[in-house]
Amino acid sequence: MTTAVPPPSRTEILSLFRSLLRSARQFPDYNIREYTKRRTIDSFRDNKILSDPASIAAAFSEGKSQLEVAKRQAVVYSLYAPKIRSIMDIKQ
Amino acid sequence: MQATSPVDPRVLDAMLPYFVSRYGNPHSRTHLYGWESDEAVEAARAQVANLINASPKEIVFTSGATECNNVSVKGVMHFYKEKKKHVITTQTEHKCVLDSCRHLQQEGFDVTYLPVKSDGLIDLNELRSSIRTDTGLVSVMAVNNEIGVIQPMEEIGQICKEFNIPFHTDAAQALGKIPIDVNKWNVSLMSLSGHKVYGPKGVGALYMRRRPRIRVEPQMNGGGQERGIRSGTVPTPLVVGMGAACELAMKEMEYDEKRVTELKDRLLNGIRAKLDGVVVNGSTESRYAGNLNLSFAYVEGESLLMGLKEVAVSSGSACTSASLEPSYVLRALGVDEDMAHTSIRNEPAL
Repeated sequence: MTTAVPPPSRTEILSLFRSLLRSARQFPDYNIREYTKRRTIDSFRDNKILSDPASIAAAFSEGKSQLEVAKRQAVVYSLYAPKIRSIMDIKQ
Repeated sequence: MQATSPVDPRVLDAMLPYFVSRYGNPHSRTHLYGWESDEAVEAARAQVANLINASPKEIVFTSGATECNNVSVKGVMHFYKEKKKHVITTQTEHKCVLDSCRHLQQEGFDVTYLPVKSDGLIDLNELRSSIRTDTGLVSVMAVNNEIGVIQPMEEIGQICKEFNIPFHTDAAQALGKIPIDVNKWNVSLMSLSGHKVYGPKGVGALYMRRRPRIRVEPQMNGGGQERGIRSGTVPTPLVVGMGAACELAMKEMEYDEKRVTELKDRLLNGIRAKLDGVVVNGSTESRYAGNLNLSFAYVEGESLLMGLKEVAVSSGSACTSASLEPSYVLRALGVDEDMAHTSIRNEPAL
């Protein structure tokens, strides 16, 4: 039996949360930006109640891999950003 | 999102490696490119199968739901043409099903187009009474693409089981939105589309039951790929995309359903608070929240669309959008000619 990975600390979790929200802001598309923000906030809120260290570690590593996806795709979507912005980005 | 949906960034992320570096043909047996491509296709097959509670061996990849519908309707009837001459479908099916049935009629088959009630659902007693000894297929779409109503799938499945008739459903609009279980519904064939579940366009999957086995005459002849059912190189990046989209849909179905219902309620209540004469087309109980077809009395639909510059809505469906005729689906519901001209389909999503 190998030693278990230590569960993430509160600072690490908060840092992941902030990184995800930061990567959400990089998306030029209104819908994807808002969805990424909302989904991050809702997931972290729903997972707050987790108490078992194994499931906390699993949720954390899931979050990390989603952060990698978000970082990559924010670059791709920015490269091909359309000239016409969504109405939601233009109106106040 | 009914006409189509944007590719989810998570799905695009899964697909890109197969466009960029892992470009092998999954049918090439002799090198790493082929093996890793094949592995990706099989993983995607399992992801699609999981979403509908089927076995991966029962999934055949195609170019989309239109191709699946063609194979299901024409392929089944041609295979069993010695003994079975009759098909039952509904008046509100997608055009590819109706056109395939028309083609069968020209070949000499009989087709019964079941009418729908004013709420868009079929009458189960009418289905029962139209079954003949030579009925070879019943085809009913699960969620209608124009009005969003959900047909009574379990009950239809039960009737087909009772009379031992293959049951085909076009589940393109249902996939990832409502829970699908091929055993609960007792379907023998199911058409699935990639671009309705935030996957890429140009790919779909056909579910074909193994026990009891349903046989079809292939519509694409060639090298025998996809167990001889659908020849042609399987497009690995598209298939990987569809698989990733299905896996995502399974994880997110509950969350998305809550959000879509919230948005739909806000839209409908907001509109009703400011306007009279707004009619929801189709059953209000048995429906999917993400498809809201409304009729606005005294306002012509196409003109209303032209006036809505910043919002993408449609009247009818994408495949009928070029025609100015009111939708055949609304006609089948018995909607008045002038109200049918005023309908708009709204699709709250994401």
